[in-house]
Amino acid sequence: MSGAVLLEIRGLRARVGEKEILKGLDLTVREGEVHAIMGPNGSGKSTLAGVLAGRDAYEVTAGSVRYAGQDLLGLAPEARAAAGVFLGFQYPVEIPGVGNLYFLRTALNAIRKARGEEELDAMDFLAFAKEKMKLVELDPAFGSRSVNEGFSGGEKKRNEIFQMAVLEPKLAILDEIDSGLDIDALRVVAGGVNALRRSDRAIVMVTHYQRLLDHVTPDVVHVMAGGRIVKTGGRDLALELEKTGYAWAGDKAPMPLTEART
Amino acid sequence: MTVAASVTPAAESLAAAFTIGPDDPAWLGDLREDALDGLRALGGLPTLRHEDWRYTNLAALAAQRLERARPDQGDAAAALLDRAGTWSGPQLVFANGRYRSDLSRVHGLPPGAVMISLGEALREVPDLVRPNLGRLARVDRHPLVAANTALFDDGVLLHLPVGGAVAPPIRIVHLVSLPGRAVAAFPRLLLVAGEGSLVTVVEHTISAEGERALVAPVAEIVLAPGAEVNHYRFQEEGLESFELASLHVEQAAESRFTSHALALGGQVARAELHARLAGERAELAASGLGMASAARTTDAFVHVEHVAPHCTSTQTFKTVLDGRARGVFTGRVRVAPGAQKTSAQQSSSNLLLSEDATVDTRPQLEILADDVKCSHGGSVGQLDPTSLFYLRSRGLSEPAARSLLIYAFAAGMVELVRPEPLRARARQLVAARLPAGARLVEAA
Repeated sequence: MSGAVLLEIRGLRARVGEKEILKGLDLTVREGEVHAIMGPNGSGKSTLAGVLAGRDAYEVTAGSVRYAGQDLLGLAPEARAAAGVFLGFQYPVEIPGVGNLYFLRTALNAIRKARGEEELDAMDFLAFAKEKMKLVELDPAFGSRSVNEGFSGGEKKRNEIFQMAVLEPKLAILDEIDSGLDIDALRVVAGGVNALRRSDRAIVMVTHYQRLLDHVTPDVVHVMAGGRIVKTGGRDLALELEKTGYAWAGDKAPMPLTEART
Repeated sequence: MTVAASVTPAAESLAAAFTIGPDDPAWLGDLREDALDGLRALGGLPTLRHEDWRYTNLAALAAQRLERARPDQGDAAAALLDRAGTWSGPQLVFANGRYRSDLSRVHGLPPGAVMISLGEALREVPDLVRPNLGRLARVDRHPLVAANTALFDDGVLLHLPVGGAVAPPIRIVHLVSLPGRAVAAFPRLLLVAGEGSLVTVVEHTISAEGERALVAPVAEIVLAPGAEVNHYRFQEEGLESFELASLHVEQAAESRFTSHALALGGQVARAELHARLAGERAELAASGLGMASAARTTDAFVHVEHVAPHCTSTQTFKTVLDGRARGVFTGRVRVAPGAQKTSAQQSSSNLLLSEDATVDTRPQLEILADDVKCSHGGSVGQLDPTSLFYLRSRGLSEPAARSLLIYAFAAGMVELVRPEPLRARARQLVAARLPAGARLVEAA
């Protein structure tokens, strides 16, 4: 099912202030694939997600990121969004005073405009958005509430997947989309992610726990430790991790990569 | 009487412009004389040496020779009415402080209510004016009240009988322009709300761009028991203008008063509220939004006196400051010895968009009763980088993301404008002052 290479990261190093967090990371993601990046706290998973989306708290010091044939690191965050990159936040931001649907329509139209497409008017957008809300069982009343304000943890994560559904990215990076969810909410969020799998879209899920992978079956599983990907495998790798934990990954030298791609 | 050591051109020109109007009754002539004396005794326009004006610099105004417009010099001002937007409710229009019956509409009043120009009121119903004009706005305490009282050309009398409710909001538009000159306008409002009456009044000032002008409106509002008055002030000044407004309120038992001011223009835009809660269970809600950029100042000054027990007052003010702008908030609350069970809250939140913007916020509580709940809080902050990144990661450009967050900060103040046509107008005015704001009108 693998298509063309969508994302190619080579030797990526990044730091926050003086502290180096990514220490020579390599990753290749093809269209149609779902990747899971697992690893202990502090291994650099969220930093990787932030660097890919263009968060300016991180400084890239070496390496390259090619996305759909262009240099991703040279693009502003909004230009990455227009090019089809989406980051699902671990901690979605509350923005009191800004209506959820208004915000999303503004975002979608900014992206459509950047792509030279026609903007959607309020009526067309509403119909489109309502359809997408069903994917994650989001009550239409959420549309008129302020962005994430007063949402429960599960509602915030469902809102992220709803936004992804509306913005229709080519590459979705979901940072701990499973954290803080009870089992019912996890099922809904995972159902949304599964519904959004497409042969021309790649999804990279960053997660600490394997339980998300019970609901969204990845094509490729990576283990990250010490700012690098130290092991790559298939679905089985996640199950193995569940038994052994991350202790072996520690901060030691990377284990030899397993060629487990199918 | 003391005379100021150095008389500024502004104070001198104002004194020179003093006349007692041919139609002024004798008591008003006396009041005007007292006001002129008061202006001199207080040293002319306030300076930074006055405690209540420590952060608001009027030096550029003081150096200016100011003129009163003649009755035939209102055309440029009247032409600004287009900028006020359409309005279907009752409306009173003033050009350079003079009433324009041709642009005004009076309708929708309950029986027994009076809404006429002050000039007409002084001729027709002086007994409704005399007991209250100058009673709350004292000419011996406040230089701009003194200047207004000495020099006002006209104004509004709004008198509501017992139980009189005016459903549509009443708009009073002050238009100010005298090309090539520095005009001073002194709008005056006297509102007497009878027992259980209800009214909403909007004072909307628009002055011309590029003209140095002084607009110093004074309003006196008296609420009988159970009356409800909502007062909105929209300050939409040209960037060279000074609007120094003051509102003086007295509330009897169980009356409710709200004051909400949007300061959106002017070299200096200052809105003062002086309120006296004189009857039990009176409620006051004062709020405002100031937006300023370049080297402009937005200033909210509130002085609430809790005289009677069981009264409630809230003060909620926000500023958005860019460039070298300055924001000032003074929230003074005095709780008199007998005013037990007083509840008084104030908050001042400030968003600084540049390194050079400054804000001075001064809560001043003087509490002489022992069973009260008084609190004050405030914040000074910048746009949250994480929120900015969140919006940009969804595709919004940086200016659009900044605008949306600024709008979100201000949105609560826009929503406090209750009458819908006015709220839509407030949205437009606020959005127009954002970096990419034109498209944000529907944000809320």
